Amino acid sequence: MSRMVMQDVSDSVVSRPAPWFSRAVPYLPSIVILIAAMIYGTVSSPYFLNFTALLVNTGRYVEIGLLALALTVVIVNGDIDLSVASNLAVSAATMGLMVEGGVAVEIAALAALAVGVGLGAINAIFIVGLGLPSLVVTLATLALYRGLAQIMLGDNAVTAYPDEFVGADQVSVLGEAVRVPMPLVMFLGFAVLFSFLLTRTNFGLSCYLTGSNQKAALFSGIKTDRTRATAFLLAGLMAGAAAVMLTSRLGSTLSNVGLGLELLAITVVVLGGTDIFGGRGTILGTVIALFAVMAVRESLVISNVNGQVQDAVVGVILIVAIVVPIAVTRWKSRAATRRLR
Amino acid sequence: MSDVKGAGRLRQIARLREAGIAAVIIVLIVVFGVLNPRFLNPDNLGSIVLSVGILMILAIGQMLVIITRNIDLSVGSVLGLSAMVMGMVGRDFPQLPIALLIVVAMVVGGLAGAVNGVLVALFKIPAIIATLGTLAIFRGLTFLVSNNVQVDPEDISVEMKNLAARGLLGVPWLVIFALIVVALAWWFTKRTMTGKRLYAIGSNPDAARMRGLNVTGLTFGVFVVMGALAGLGGAMYVARFATVNPADAGLGFELAVISAVVIGGTNIFGGSGTVLGTVLGTILVGILANGLTVVGVSGFWQRFASGAIILLAIVADSFVRKRIETRQSRETVVRSP
Repeated sequence: MSRMVMQDVSDSVVSRPAPWFSRAVPYLPSIVILIAAMIYGTVSSPYFLNFTALLVNTGRYVEIGLLALALTVVIVNGDIDLSVASNLAVSAATMGLMVEGGVAVEIAALAALAVGVGLGAINAIFIVGLGLPSLVVTLATLALYRGLAQIMLGDNAVTAYPDEFVGADQVSVLGEAVRVPMPLVMFLGFAVLFSFLLTRTNFGLSCYLTGSNQKAALFSGIKTDRTRATAFLLAGLMAGAAAVMLTSRLGSTLSNVGLGLELLAITVVVLGGTDIFGGRGTILGTVIALFAVMAVRESLVISNVNGQVQDAVVGVILIVAIVVPIAVTRWKSRAATRRLR
Repeated sequence: MSDVKGAGRLRQIARLREAGIAAVIIVLIVVFGVLNPRFLNPDNLGSIVLSVGILMILAIGQMLVIITRNIDLSVGSVLGLSAMVMGMVGRDFPQLPIALLIVVAMVVGGLAGAVNGVLVALFKIPAIIATLGTLAIFRGLTFLVSNNVQVDPEDISVEMKNLAARGLLGVPWLVIFALIVVALAWWFTKRTMTGKRLYAIGSNPDAARMRGLNVTGLTFGVFVVMGALAGLGGAMYVARFATVNPADAGLGFELAVISAVVIGGTNIFGGSGTVLGTVLGTILVGILANGLTVVGVSGFWQRFASGAIILLAIVADSFVRKRIETRQSRETVVRSP
């Protein structure tokens, strides 16, 4: 609380538009990590710095990116959604079962999107409708939705997808010369859309105001309930979209699909400079952070680091990304009080 | 005046709830017993008691954390890490007494808890985010220290395994440890000033701070205690399962522990919770998990059930809380002139 007040004051003191380098500050952590990981990867393997391979590999991070885009909106609102990866699993399971039952894959994909939105709506009902904290509700639905996916699929893997649906990440938009994977282009398209939504629409403005001070926003006539609920629906929609994308990439569906992706997605958002307490954050930051996390993972993969250890490194980055801004703010405000004396 | 009445009503509700959980436990035992008599088999009941024992040690710690309006998602990973370190130390230094090994596990757990404590109490990171990060970090550390090699049953001493098999008057040591933890927690929450302060922090952190309570120190302390208890749970895990796999030990434990605590009536928004309730909640979760498997309901339902139970418990809690608040404010309005 006091932190927020402090920053508001310092913002209003600066009346001129901030110079470019101070506007770039929120992006610094991810840029530093991106460069560090590229250097580490290049040093540890001669095969790492291969532009085509890196470009192709971006296809594997698009699902995380889609979840992160919607989570940026949710977190800017001052909420959180821990259930996105489990939602993805239910959406993927729905799609899998429908395809197995002989439904056309296009319709099954639409159904996956609808299920994603539906599960997002359930979150919204508990959080906005009943006024429960999003952290706890989505922790519960994280287990609930994952359990639902397990009940739907059991130990079975769905592999009945038609060939033309499988392998979207292998499709290159610019042909064979420069292999730009289709999912990457779709992700960047979504990123532009979300950026437009947050910076150029009333909805976006409502998000920032709701996140900085929900009561004040409510009293100034902003429909905070509708804004927050919309964000959870968007998170559900993106979970559904990520499910379709992931299924196309893997060509099969298991109940543990996307397990633990929420940690990666939240890390991406926070690393991208979005304040975990709401009120500030940009899509550009999230996009840069996605590439930073990708560089970290890829450099660890190429030096044969175990998957659990990769997750641990991401956990460390998540915590450092939250701690550093808090420490900096404290240090700044201490310096400011010293100057006042 | 209204405050005292409100507290009395809360206590009444807590008692009602505890009676309700006890009734559900009895119904579950009867239903599972009828559906499959093997459920009431002494061997099966013994296995329930052992898994409830481990769960209870962690649930008591989690209850204290939740009372201060925090949460610890990393308990399963802390259990795995301390079980792994203890298993390795026992393997490499077989001459060490098991009491010392248990201390090793608790110290490892306590240190892990201290990391959580620093992040939450000092840096004020929301506990759920901080411990989501450390959940991954401690699991990764378990891989690093073990080099992805499991501790095999033959590397675990017979004395260690006996903790889950023998004890006083036929009660295994594992269960006695759990009962000691429960007794200490009961004394701590009911009879000590520090215990009462945890409730004060959870019901209103700002007010507690203004009252001069050391919120940072107490929150840090609670996380260290939680870690040490997860370490003890790790030691008991080794005793019971006689093997530690880095990918497996304690995986997903956090959900069972949190469901046990919230079923037991500990308010997820902090400020209230009883040891008796947590004990009953743990027994219920233990019976449900075992019973569903024995009756033949697929294990896939268990995660769904724990999610549904947590959701149900928080909805019920917020409903009760709102009713008490409206009643209190009504009484205040009537009496104020």
